[in-house]
Amino acid sequence: MSTTSTSEEVKDNTSREDEGDAPNTKDEDKSNENLLECNICLDTAKDAVVSLCGHLFCWPCLHQWLETRPNRPVCPVCKAAISREKVVPLYGRGSKKQEDPRNKVPPRPAGQRTEPDNNFSGFGFGDGGFHMSFGIGAFPFGFFTSTFNFGEPRPNMPPHGTPQNMEEQFLSKVFLWLALIFIAWLLLA
Amino acid sequence: MSAMSPSERRLQKELMSLIKDPPPGVTVDAEQAEQNLLQWTIFMEGASGTLYEGERFQLQFKFSNKYPFDSPEVTFVGSNIPVHPHIYSNGHICLSILTDDWSPALSVQSVCLSIVSMLSSCKEKQRPHDNAFYVKTCSKNPKKTKWWYHDDSV
Repeated sequence: MSTTSTSEEVKDNTSREDEGDAPNTKDEDKSNENLLECNICLDTAKDAVVSLCGHLFCWPCLHQWLETRPNRPVCPVCKAAISREKVVPLYGRGSKKQEDPRNKVPPRPAGQRTEPDNNFSGFGFGDGGFHMSFGIGAFPFGFFTSTFNFGEPRPNMPPHGTPQNMEEQFLSKVFLWLALIFIAWLLLA
Repeated sequence: MSAMSPSERRLQKELMSLIKDPPPGVTVDAEQAEQNLLQWTIFMEGASGTLYEGERFQLQFKFSNKYPFDSPEVTFVGSNIPVHPHIYSNGHICLSILTDDWSPALSVQSVCLSIVSMLSSCKEKQRPHDNAFYVKTCSKNPKKTKWWYHDDSV
C-alpha cells in the first residue's frame, strides 16, 4: 500500500516539474551528461574507473595524476587516499574491446570479483567438492599458447609482498618444474 | 580542432563554461584567451560588503602543457594589486592550492572563487610582513617560491 502511494507521489512530482518549466528537461539532460564526465579532462570518461570515494575518472587521466604525485596519492576531488588497487573499472554494456592509443598507460586495473561463499567443506575427495582435470592437447601448440599467452593479456600481478603474490609465484614455479619434468619424460620415453 | 592537446581541450572547455556562467564579479578576457589558450587575463571585482568593495583587480593565469596535472601560475597584474596579508606587492599570491594542494579537479573557476573568498575574509588591509625582502629576492615565477603556509584564518 505504502509503496504505491510513494510511487504515485514521485510521478506526481515529476509531472508537475515538467509542466512547471518544460525547457528544464534539456538542462537536466545536460547535467545527466555531466554526471559521466571525467573529473580531470572534463570529457566523457573513457576507460572509466571510479574511486572508492565515488569519483569518476578516465583511467589514463587518473593514472597520470598518480604518476605526478607518487608519494601522496589522493583523490583529486575529495583528497581521500586513493591507489591503483582500489579503483573499480566501469564496464558499460556496449563497451568494445578498444585498445587505448596511449599505450604507455598500463591496462586498467581489473575488477575484483569474489565468488560467493558456497559451504566449502574442506578438502574431501568423496563429497564431490573437489574436481581435478588434467589434459594434454595437441602438445606443442597447447604448450606454446598457454606459455606465451597469445590473445588475451594476462591479468595484472597482485602487488608485491601480499600473500596472494607469494602464492602465485610459488604456484608458477611448481608448474614450471612440472612442465620440465613432463617434457623430459616425453623426450626419454 | 583535432590537433588540440589534452590540456588545450580542457582549457577550451573551461573557457566556455567561464564565459557562460562565471562566478560573481569575475570576467575573463575571452578574446585574448581564445587567441592563446595558455595565458588568460581575468578581471575580478572586490565582493560587496568586504574591504575590497568597489575595487577592480586583474589576474593573470599561465598554464603549462601539463595542465591540469600541473597547477597554473596565477598572479595579480596591472596597477591595482590588492593589499592583503597573503598578496605581495609584485602580485604573487601565497595560496596553497596554487602549489602543494593543487588538484587536477580544480579549475580556473575554483581558483578564482578561492581568491575572492581569500580577499573577502580579510579583516585588515596590509602587506605580508616579509614583503620588501620577498619582492627583492623572489623568482619571477611564484611557483618556484617555497611557500610556507601557516595562516589559515585569512
